[in-house]
Amino acid sequence: MNLAQQIINGLVLGSGYALIAIGWTVLLGAARLVNFAHGQLYMLAAFLAWAAMQQFGVDYYVAVPIAVLALGLLGVVLQGVMLPLVMKQNLTSLMIVTLGFGYVFQGGAARVFGGDPQRLISPLQAESIRYGDIWFTLQDVVTLAGTLLLFGFLWLVMNRTRLGALVRSVAEDPKLAQLFGINAARVYIGVFVFECAAVALGAGLVAPRSPILTSMGFDEVILTFVVVVLGGIGSVGGSLLAGFGLGMFTALFGALVSPAYTTAAAFLLLLIVLVTRPGGLAARR
Amino acid sequence: MTRLATPLALLLAALAYFVPAAAGGTPVVYAACTTIAILAVMAYGADLILSYLGEVSLGHTIFWAAGGYAAAMLSVGPGWNGWMTAGASVAIALVLACVLGWVTLRTREFVFSLVTYAAAVVAMEVAFNWSFLGGSDGIVGVPPLQLTVLGRGITGSTNAELWPVAWGLLMLTLLFIQRFRQSRLGTSALMVQMNPDLAQALGVDARSVRFLVFVASAPISALAGWLYAYQRAYVGPDMFESYFLVLMLTAIVIVGRRLLLGPLIGTALIIVQQTFFSIGGDGDKIVLGAVLAVILLLWPKGLIGLWELMRVRRAS
Repeated sequence: MNLAQQIINGLVLGSGYALIAIGWTVLLGAARLVNFAHGQLYMLAAFLAWAAMQQFGVDYYVAVPIAVLALGLLGVVLQGVMLPLVMKQNLTSLMIVTLGFGYVFQGGAARVFGGDPQRLISPLQAESIRYGDIWFTLQDVVTLAGTLLLFGFLWLVMNRTRLGALVRSVAEDPKLAQLFGINAARVYIGVFVFECAAVALGAGLVAPRSPILTSMGFDEVILTFVVVVLGGIGSVGGSLLAGFGLGMFTALFGALVSPAYTTAAAFLLLLIVLVTRPGGLAARR
Repeated sequence: MTRLATPLALLLAALAYFVPAAAGGTPVVYAACTTIAILAVMAYGADLILSYLGEVSLGHTIFWAAGGYAAAMLSVGPGWNGWMTAGASVAIALVLACVLGWVTLRTREFVFSLVTYAAAVVAMEVAFNWSFLGGSDGIVGVPPLQLTVLGRGITGSTNAELWPVAWGLLMLTLLFIQRFRQSRLGTSALMVQMNPDLAQALGVDARSVRFLVFVASAPISALAGWLYAYQRAYVGPDMFESYFLVLMLTAIVIVGRRLLLGPLIGTALIIVQQTFFSIGGDGDKIVLGAVLAVILLLWPKGLIGLWELMRVRRAS
């Protein structure tokens, strides 16, 4: 086994996990809302980009922003319908509602895009870089850089701007925040739109690695679960760390032990952490 | 009226025994009714958690599949009869539920849901990759169900023959749920959900209540999986599919939580739509998902909430 190559693989995988997870982390932190349609949103974004390239012949560089925009709009609609439940913080019902949405997306996408596996082709995927016996693609570099940029930007917004303060205050106590004249509904919608757009960006950058299927849904992004919980609910820095940690773990576990049981091993890790530290790794105890 | 509601509900469910014969008695009708009974029992397992603990368990497909795998493996391999495989299904489900219940003991709300979901994904991956469990092919050729009830042998090779067993299992489940609702555990669970502080003040240990309810719910879904294995003569990793998960939750919320017959009526509505008014596999997915979302968004209490709303409007 080539250790250096596995570390590179771990970095690449990890940046993908972190990128796909970030929207969810913010959503959980600010609205305490678990979006079980997250995987189907990823699938939808990948297929929208694919359809834009296949049907309308646009470039990959145009198709991805189109998918991001479309998902952002979808986010407005979805959160708009869910708003009464979100304002009441009826979390049990909300979880089930998102599960229902996911199922609708899956059935709808299968009808529109068909059941065959497709490929989202990125020109960057073909550009490979060799360095001794280490190998990676330009797509990997862009994903890694994009992830770091987005996380840095998000950290700045959350910690250094008035917008971030609004989001954090609503997360802390929505009722009290409203008393201070903060429009909590608008914050919830904004956070949800961010989640949808971020997962679309993640899909645009990560989906070219493997064939896409309308049925892939949650299984494709299931590992981001681990990132969200391990990183500590709502912690931006925590999920970046957890993402890279998990990427390393999967790469090394897959190479050293067994690729078939990687997901199971990652979840076992999650369960162990939850039993010992229910608040996630970032919890202050 | 309210005091009569429960016996009336049980009587109605008992009379359901004659539904397939009254609806024509064709193989399709028997298949649909047997499937409704089996899937309703599966849903009652999750109902115990959702209605009485107020948590969303996304891991009940584990118990459902465990029951199915136990029935298939033990009847194909050592050739056990129905009672023995049922006992094994319950035992395995109890062990799994103890482990999962212990792991999730300190988790609440979405963390509980995430972890139970994660556990289901792990279980599916294990079933898919482990040749001991048949791997991705599953286990084929499950022999017909063999049961001896009161000295009479029952063979369940067709849906018409399986129907009395499925109905019996459904009735047992309903009686169990009814007992549970009146039991100390059931009332404590509701109190823990509605007002945890009060429960604690009255000396109720919330953790052990949650754990016991979780463990009690597992064998119900497992027995449904047990019968499903015989009905299909096959089990495989597809028992972990989100179809069953979405179906359980929809069946519970469609009519309304905490209603004795709720999950049964819900399951019946869904399966009747999918059997007799299907608009294709993907179309049915859209219908099922949309029903789930729309019901909760418009009438979070379920269809019973809509009915109450209309009654209030008419009164005012």
